[in-house]
Amino acid sequence: MSALPEYRTRVILEGEGVPVVQGIFLETGSAPPDALPGTPVYLKAQIPGATSRKAQGLVRRVDSIDDIPIELKAIEQAADGAMEGILIASGLDIIKEYYAACTLDFGSEERLPGGVLVFSAEGGSGVEERSGSLVSIPFLLIAPPSPGDIMDALPSSVPEASAESLASLLHGMIGTFLKYRLTVLEANPVGLLADGSVTVVDCRAEFEKSAVRKGDRDLFMIPGSKGSADLTPLERKVAAINAADPSGTGFFRQNREVPPAGALRVATNLCGGGGKMLWEMTTGYRPSIFTMNESDTSGGLSAFKSCRILKVILSQEGAQVLILTGSGMAFQNQHHLAAAVWKALRESPTPLPCLLRFGGTDENRARELFERVSGSLPVQVRTYPAEIFPNAMADDLEVIALSEALSVDPPPPAQGEPFLTVEVPPGRIFFYPELWPFEESPPSVTACPTGFLKWEDGTLSVDTEARCIGCLMCECAALLDGNSEIRIELDMPEEVD
Amino acid sequence: MAGILKHLAGIETPETLVFGITGRQGRSKSRLMKKYGTHIIAGCTPGKGGQEIDGVPVFNSAAEAVEAFPRLNTAVLFVPAGAVKKAAMDAIDAGLAFLVLAADGVPVHDEIILKEYAATRDTVYLGPNTVGLLDTDGYLFGLIGGSATWAKRNYLPGKVGVISRSGGLSQLLGAFHCRPDLPGLRSDGSFGPLWGDDFPGVSAVVCVGGDPVPGVSMLDAARAFEKDPRTEVMAVYGETGTMQENDLARAVIAGEISKPIVVFLGGKFTQAGVAQSHAGAMIRNKEESWGAKKEALETAGITVVERPDAVFGAVLGKLD
Repeated sequence: MSALPEYRTRVILEGEGVPVVQGIFLETGSAPPDALPGTPVYLKAQIPGATSRKAQGLVRRVDSIDDIPIELKAIEQAADGAMEGILIASGLDIIKEYYAACTLDFGSEERLPGGVLVFSAEGGSGVEERSGSLVSIPFLLIAPPSPGDIMDALPSSVPEASAESLASLLHGMIGTFLKYRLTVLEANPVGLLADGSVTVVDCRAEFEKSAVRKGDRDLFMIPGSKGSADLTPLERKVAAINAADPSGTGFFRQNREVPPAGALRVATNLCGGGGKMLWEMTTGYRPSIFTMNESDTSGGLSAFKSCRILKVILSQEGAQVLILTGSGMAFQNQHHLAAAVWKALRESPTPLPCLLRFGGTDENRARELFERVSGSLPVQVRTYPAEIFPNAMADDLEVIALSEALSVDPPPPAQGEPFLTVEVPPGRIFFYPELWPFEESPPSVTACPTGFLKWEDGTLSVDTEARCIGCLMCECAALLDGNSEIRIELDMPEEVD
Repeated sequence: MAGILKHLAGIETPETLVFGITGRQGRSKSRLMKKYGTHIIAGCTPGKGGQEIDGVPVFNSAAEAVEAFPRLNTAVLFVPAGAVKKAAMDAIDAGLAFLVLAADGVPVHDEIILKEYAATRDTVYLGPNTVGLLDTDGYLFGLIGGSATWAKRNYLPGKVGVISRSGGLSQLLGAFHCRPDLPGLRSDGSFGPLWGDDFPGVSAVVCVGGDPVPGVSMLDAARAFEKDPRTEVMAVYGETGTMQENDLARAVIAGEISKPIVVFLGGKFTQAGVAQSHAGAMIRNKEESWGAKKEALETAGITVVERPDAVFGAVLGKLD
């Protein structure tokens, strides 16, 4: 889940009519305000997902406008570049602190899923230690409670005079929660003021990126905010690859931990959520293995994209060996995946010895491909039938990791003008007629599974009714069975090549 | 052609509508399904009514399709994640009894709303985030197998009912029970061929999907296999997160499920609160942890294995 910091959560609450304490948001580095909404004020660093801000010096009380610049500076230093800015919030005379939150219940056999409004009349710091005071009010997302329903469910400790305004505030919170499809919306404290009114003093939210509507993206996903700044350079490259070719899933995340001394550093290309789970079930028993990265390349992605992501995976500094395996049987054609692995290993400046398991459509052809091409690769490669799982493959990791690199020249780059530039998935096809001066169709063309490439009267053409799926079969066939008459060039985000 | 759908959704002969048939995935998977044997008689893409895709007429809504073909009773949705809720509600309102929602990344709010909406109606749906359902009686919904040829070759009629929260493991648990001479972990601890040509085969493969709020739960699928006369044993892939395994264990203890079950339980080393590739695998409370699930399943007499190649020998043991 992604986190929405207080200053942005306030915006969506106010939009639904929920009262929030007065405040001014200052972007990092901007000048202090000329006036305050009153004194005292609280300066709060705005860091998505941050907890215990007070203890870290990220929340400070200020009683005079003269002290603002120095306190802003102190918070900026304490935040160490992680914050989006500082919220200057008014101090209030609060006579009672409440806690309120909306969350989701995923349900079970006994109950339908739905939303839950959690309330406590004993809010403020340390509310989690007073869990006995929490009241849960479940509701259906398709039939949320009215202010009257909420008022009826409030504990008797809530003063009658403030019950109506409190129920209205909680109703507004539920409206916000539903409108933005949040997974968590928390207000702590909600302050009860002397006049019986209530207001949100502090708040935060969590959300799924997939739930953010197009028109709300500017508010929820700020470029340069903690979420995007947290990416490593290689992760940014995979993000660029995904942006250029949205087919399937292309997840890649590097391990931020430092490998223990003597650990075997394993780069992984695990296909599917089950693949990750199988690897985890394997390495949990083997602390000597350090997993360099998580990855999930599945869901029908093109071989073009697999190849690009594999090149990124191979380029991880310190990696000793690559393991590629899926969750079991993929619905993607494994022969196409094998072509992607082969191309990545041939062209990568940092190839790794590999353990490869192909499972799914054309799995045997995938293995056969590697048996045929093993001599053209600069590293040792071991392939496994689908019946052998990561728990058994892991026995071979160390031997293959320590195997010697082979002396094989990398293929020269493609020359001349491309025959065709494919937009989706992106890639360039080069054809060299001088290498195929024959009447009959070259293997590279007959290998095209969609009929996109055609051979007519000794000339290469394309069928505009068909589509290039980026499977790399043409290049494979040209190299294995033809005269290298077709080459595919795949652009990479700059720094990888 | 009744198969597992008779017990899952009361359907004797599935007649199918494909949402998103005019899109790339919808079109290619419709070809796969038709070639396998699924009766696809209509497609649906709002704004593209009147077209034909591979001879299948396209309608603007499920209601229009049902009006033209009243025998329609099932639908497969190849629509983007953000459009799943609306399309599924359209199909539910049109009275279709069984839906498959293939998309990954459906917002959990939409999943919950859909579950709440379907609860008061006569529609059962599989997914979201599922590779679908394959029945060896001759129909397939979704993308199991990758191609009809591969699906026909790999999934052969037999005694094992497969339930899984992972797409890849759904396909694997199904296909491997149909492979002659499959190597695996034997009951004596050795590793080698478990059977010759007399593989157990599968009745159906049901992928309940990897999301936190599935339509058909593991227990719903187990109830269907319990009633299915072809099925003698269930092979299940479960993992951390959600209450599905816990619910299954309770139903076994209550005597509602009596057929033997083997569960490969993933997530032994998954830490609580950490997001997983399967959105549903995140541990949110103690009951959703691997240890609690293992204990619940074993208390119910269900065999739990911790490595994939141990499933098949354990299933064989149940068949003996």
